[in-house]
Amino acid sequence: MKRPKFPILHVWLDELTDIVKDEGILIFIILLPLAYPLLYAMIYDTETQRELPICVVDDCMSSRSRDFVRRVDATAEVKVAERCTDMAQAQELMRRREVFGILRIPAEFDQRLWRGQQAVVGLYSDLTSMLYYKVEYLAVINVAQEMNRHIKVKEHQATTTRREEQLASWPIRFEEVKLYNPAGGFAAFLIPPVLMLILQQALCLGIGMSMGRSRERFRGLVIPPSKHYKNTLAIVLGRALVHFLIFMLMAFYMAVCVTRWFGLPQLAHFTELLGFFVPYLAACTFMAMFWSSFIYRREDCILLFVFMSIPLLFLSGVSWPGASVPAFWQVVGSVFPSTWGLNAYVRIQGMGASLGDCRQELMALWILAGVYFLLTCLFYMFEIRKAVGRTILE
Amino acid sequence: MLKALRNTWLITLRELRAFGRRPIFLIIMFLAPLGFLWMFTGLMQSGLPTKLPAALVDEDDTHVTRQLTRILGTMEETNFVMKTKSFTEARQAMQRGEIYAIFRIPKGTTEAALTQRQPVVSFYTNDTYYIAASLLMKDMRKMSEMAGLAITRETMRARGATDEKIMGSIQPIVVESHPLGNPHLNYSVVLSNLIVPGLLMLVIMLTTSYALGIEWKRNRQKELYKLADGNIYVIIVGKLLPQTMLYTLIFWLIDLVFYSYLQFPCQCGIPRMMLWGFLAVLASQGFGLLLFEAFPAMMRFAMSACSLLGVMQFSLAGFSFPVSAMELPFQWLSNIFPLHHYFLIYVNQALNGYEISYAWMNVAALLGISILPWLFSYRLTDAIQNKEYKA
Repeated sequence: MKRPKFPILHVWLDELTDIVKDEGILIFIILLPLAYPLLYAMIYDTETQRELPICVVDDCMSSRSRDFVRRVDATAEVKVAERCTDMAQAQELMRRREVFGILRIPAEFDQRLWRGQQAVVGLYSDLTSMLYYKVEYLAVINVAQEMNRHIKVKEHQATTTRREEQLASWPIRFEEVKLYNPAGGFAAFLIPPVLMLILQQALCLGIGMSMGRSRERFRGLVIPPSKHYKNTLAIVLGRALVHFLIFMLMAFYMAVCVTRWFGLPQLAHFTELLGFFVPYLAACTFMAMFWSSFIYRREDCILLFVFMSIPLLFLSGVSWPGASVPAFWQVVGSVFPSTWGLNAYVRIQGMGASLGDCRQELMALWILAGVYFLLTCLFYMFEIRKAVGRTILE
Repeated sequence: MLKALRNTWLITLRELRAFGRRPIFLIIMFLAPLGFLWMFTGLMQSGLPTKLPAALVDEDDTHVTRQLTRILGTMEETNFVMKTKSFTEARQAMQRGEIYAIFRIPKGTTEAALTQRQPVVSFYTNDTYYIAASLLMKDMRKMSEMAGLAITRETMRARGATDEKIMGSIQPIVVESHPLGNPHLNYSVVLSNLIVPGLLMLVIMLTTSYALGIEWKRNRQKELYKLADGNIYVIIVGKLLPQTMLYTLIFWLIDLVFYSYLQFPCQCGIPRMMLWGFLAVLASQGFGLLLFEAFPAMMRFAMSACSLLGVMQFSLAGFSFPVSAMELPFQWLSNIFPLHHYFLIYVNQALNGYEISYAWMNVAALLGISILPWLFSYRLTDAIQNKEYKA
C-alpha cells in the first residue's frame, strides 16, 4: 500500500491499522462502548422499586386499621405480603429476607383516634437498599396524610359545604414537581453520566493498551524507529485523531441510539452535543495518552484504569451531591475530564441547558485538553530523543 | 507431602521477589485500596448531605410569605442560596447546576390564604441528581404538611382547644419510621461498607489473573511447573498465598478503621467481620482464578472479563438500586458475584446483628466461589503444557 506523504497521516494510518489488527484493543474501543451501555441500561431499566413485600402486624384489628392496611397495600410502592400476629413472627420474616419492612399498628390505634388523640404507627425498614426505606416511607406517609385529612374534617371540624371541607383539609396546597426526571426513575438519573464515564474509561483502556503494545514491540519505546516518527506534533495528533474519531462515533451512538432505545432524557440538539463532545473527548484522549506513558506492559492498563471508574463517579458529584464533596476531593476530581464532562452532559442532555449554561465546565474541559496535550507532547519529545539516541548507538 | 509444602514455600518466595520487580503491581495492591479507604471516608465525612443549595422564588413578597420562607429556611437539608422574584432566573441557575431545587410562592398567595381560597405553592426538584433531589423532597413534604397544619392550629387555638386535642385533630396518625441498624440514615456507613471492600475485591480479582498470566507472558510457566513437581495445587497455593495474606491484612485494616476508629455500627463484633472479610478475599481470588481458567494463558481476556464483571458487581450488589427491583436475569446474575454475597452478610451481621444462620446461603456461596476453581484446575495444567502466551 502506498504510504501518505504527511507524517501526521502516516502516524494516523499506522495507529489505525495497528489497532484494527489487535483484538485486545478492539474489545476496549469497540465492544466495550457498544455493549456495556446496553447492559447497564438493562440493569436499571425497571427504573424504580414497585410492590416491595412488607408485612403488617395489626394489633388493633379494627375497621379503621384494616382500612389503613388496605390503602397501604393499594399503593404502587409496596404490597402487604404477610400479616403476622406478633412482632416476633414479623422479625423472623425480616431475617429470612421474605419481607423488607414491618408496618406495626398498635392495639390502641382506633381507640386513640376516637378519643381525639394521636395514634402512632411504626414502620421498620430493612436497609439492604436505601430505596427500600424511601419507597416504604413514601407509601405509608402518603396513606397517613390522606387519612389524616379525612379524619380532621369529618370528626373535628364541622363544615357545611364540600368546598369548605376541602379548604379545611388543605388550607395551603403544595405541588411537587420533579423536573427533568418526572418518574423519579433510576435509569434516567444514573445512565447518562455512566455513558460519559464509559467513554472516558474505554478511551483510557484502549490507548493504554496500544501504548503498552508499542513498548513491548519497540523494546521500551513508544514509537517505532522510523523516519516518519520525528515530529512530536505529528505523532501526538496523528495518534490522538484515531481514537478521537472512533469515540466521536461512539459518543453519538450513546447520546442518540442508547438514549432513544431506553427512553432516557434527550433534550440536546446536535450542535450542542458536538460542542460538548469535542472538548470532552479531546480532554479524555490527551489525558489517556498522558497517563499511558506510565504503562510498560499492555495488561498494565487494566490494572491502572479499571478500578478508577467507581471513585470517579463519586468525585463527579452526580451520584453523591457535589455540594457535599469536601474541597480537597473537589480539587482532586477537577483534574479528570469526567468530573466536568458528566455534569455538563447531564445538564445539556437531561435538563436542556445551553452550551452557555455550561460555560464553566466546557472551559475546564478545554483547559484540561490543553494541559494534557502539552504534557503528552513533552513526553513524546523525550521519547523521540531517546529513540534517536538509540539509533545513533546502534 | 512435605515436599509439596516445601515447593509451595519456594513458589511463594519466588512470587514475593517478583512483586518487587513490578512497581505498578505494588501501587495497585497497597495504595489503591488504602487510597480509596481514605477517599470514601473523607467524601462522606458528614454522613447524610445537609444544607443543599436551593432557590426561593417569592413572587408575592408579603410579610406572610416572608414568614413562610423563614420556616423553610430552618430545614435541615435546604439552604436557600438564591432569593429572586423571577422563576426563569431560578430555572437558569438550576441548569447551570448551582441549585438542586426551587421553592416557588406565586403572586397572590397571601391574598388567597387570607380570603380562604386555597393558594398553591410549588416545589421543583432536579431529579437528574437523584440523592440530592430525594433529600430535598423529603424535607419539603414534611414542611408543606407542617405549614398547612400550622394554619389550622392557630385557628383551633383561638377557639380554645388544648394542644393535645389540636394535635389529635390535625395530625391524628403519626408515622414513626425506624430504619433498622442505621437510625440516622447515615449514607456513609452503608455506602463505604459496600464500595471500599468492593474496590478491594475488584483489585483482588484483577491481580489474581495478572499474577498468573504474567507467567505465560514471560514464558516461565514451564519453569514454574518444574518447581512444583507437576503439582498444580502447589502452584495455585504458592502463587496466590502472598496475595491472600496481604489482602486479608488490608481487609482487616479496613474493618478496624470502619468499626473501631470511625465507629460504624457493627453488631456482631469486629473479629466476626474479619472472618467474613477473609472469606471475601478467598472468594474474590476464586472468582479471578475461575475467569483465568476460562481463558487459560490468555491473560488479557481473563483480565478484561474480570474488569467488565468486576465493575458491574457494584450495581448488582443492590445497595442504591435493589436487586429485587431488577429484571429476573439480573437477579440470577447477581448471585455469581462475591460482592453481592459479602454485602448481604454484612447487612445481616454488622448492620442488623442477626444470626449467621439466616445468611448461610451467602456464606455457602462465598465458599463455593472459592472452591469452584479447584475443580477446573486441570485446565491450568493443560495450559502450562500446551499453551503459549497470546497477546
